[in-house]
Amino acid sequence: DALLSPPQNISILSTNMKHFLTWSPVIVQGETVKYSVEFQGEYEREYANETWIPISECSLTTATECNITEDISATVAYSLRVRAEVGARSSEWGTLQGFFNRITTSLTPPLMKVIADGYHLLVELEDLGPAFQFCVLYWKKGQERRVQQKVVKEVSSVVHLDTMEAGADYCVKAQTYIEAINRSSSFSQTQCVRAQGGTSMWLV
Amino acid sequence: SGELYCSLPNPRNVHFESVNMKNVLHWLPPEGTGDGVLYRVKYSVYGVGKWIRKPECRNINRTWCDLSTETSDYEEQYYASVKAFLNGKCSDWIETARFNPLTDTKIDPPVVRVSSTERSISIILTTPEKWKRSPEEESISLLQVYPGLQYNVSVLNKKTKKRWFFSISNNTLVVPWLEPGTAYCVSAQIHVTTPLLRSQFSKEYCISTLKDK
Amino acid sequence: LGSCRVPISMAEIRAGFNTIKANIQARDPIKTLSILSYPHSLHKLKSSDRCCITHHLFNFYVDKVFKHCKTEDSYVNRKISSIANSFLSVRRSLQQCHEQNKCLCGQESTEKLRQILVNYQGLNVTSAAIKSLGELDILLDWMEKS
Repeated sequence: DALLSPPQNISILSTNMKHFLTWSPVIVQGETVKYSVEFQGEYEREYANETWIPISECSLTTATECNITEDISATVAYSLRVRAEVGARSSEWGTLQGFFNRITTSLTPPLMKVIADGYHLLVELEDLGPAFQFCVLYWKKGQERRVQQKVVKEVSSVVHLDTMEAGADYCVKAQTYIEAINRSSSFSQTQCVRAQGGTSMWLV
Repeated sequence: SGELYCSLPNPRNVHFESVNMKNVLHWLPPEGTGDGVLYRVKYSVYGVGKWIRKPECRNINRTWCDLSTETSDYEEQYYASVKAFLNGKCSDWIETARFNPLTDTKIDPPVVRVSSTERSISIILTTPEKWKRSPEEESISLLQVYPGLQYNVSVLNKKTKKRWFFSISNNTLVVPWLEPGTAYCVSAQIHVTTPLLRSQFSKEYCISTLKDK
Repeated sequence: LGSCRVPISMAEIRAGFNTIKANIQARDPIKTLSILSYPHSLHKLKSSDRCCITHHLFNFYVDKVFKHCKTEDSYVNRKISSIANSFLSVRRSLQQCHEQNKCLCGQESTEKLRQILVNYQGLNVTSAAIKSLGELDILLDWMEKS
């Protein structure tokens, strides 16, 4: 039996705190190659004899990627490795080059939809999970120096920001913030809407 | 009494059901025993050496026992245990999992009071109180127990069917610049981030803004 | 935490612990002894010592507890790893604070920490470690108490 070569091109895809380990397939003619993934946190390296912990969802999988999000749940340096298996044969471990720390996840600006409902300024935000908060900035057009801020921790469909002056234009932009890694995304595109009514409310 | 022969099947699913820290022990009767089963209850504070009998729950035929008084210190954790008796036979003592009143209780929704003017509605939320032994006892709001407590408030415009959400820390909210003569329905939920606790949304309280004069 | 401002993802640690709490506590048959709460609850300690006690307790868990909590259940082991690595991350921040001498323990707290070690050493190491892990919510509840 020829030696089974270990998986190559092992890398991490991490966006918005969702982390995936990926690798190139190992080709063995006429055989179904399966893979198993293990991780090792800084704790295991320094305090637990460098033990490796298997990820059961990615044990004997035919996929060439593994969702490691649930296990990468601390802001420390993790090692990751994967090996190929065909029947009773298994390759050497292929280990990710260097470590992965979730602090390096790439953060995208949040999807956002701004709504004017009468005199009320509202925003719909994408639910990215419990780790995410949103910093929403809004201002009356022409008064760019008087920006208001609201931190939205609970994303539940339409969030009320503020009331608007009749007929005025208001602009909004938002960024995500993850307390666990103390990082923010860049801001979303600015969106502007107009409040109901044209005559000034004070004249009513 | 003579030595009881403990071969009765055990009570099942012995567990605490807790709402606003009113902590009630519940269980299911032993399998296949029918009527006539009596129960005894005891409890213990985790880390303290002894089990304490609950006299009010001695030889009872119901399948619950209110242990709120005994478990009112939410800085402690507890176990409780139940034993069944029938026709001179008994079961084993069957214990709960460790019960932590602070994290294992459920919280009722806040009480919602709404008033309106022509163009605004005012909402006042009242957090439920921690269970207390008697009306005379000093009330403790769950706000004092969970300092990070927040409210999610939903406001539904009955005409447009549009629903808005507000997330607030204090218990009052005024929503101005509404449409006169329009019905709005409000409901609210309590949310604690850590420990993670979330009440149901309250039922909806509807009110109409006054008509334009 | 008193004089220290340390970013702690309490919600994450609690979420991890909640998934294994029943499993771990069920492995601890000794209901008559508590590692953290005997003879007195953590809540009895002066809040001014909060930073120092937290620092020492995080050291206790990192240095002594987690490594002896391996179980036959791989899911539980993964969750213990999550908590252990979170504690390691927090301990680093606490260490910096401790080194800047902001984190001082009074005599009462020093005695309490000594008692915790005595309680721990009173059991065999696996039982002590599992019991301590099962008491994590006692520590978290105390840390979050205002």
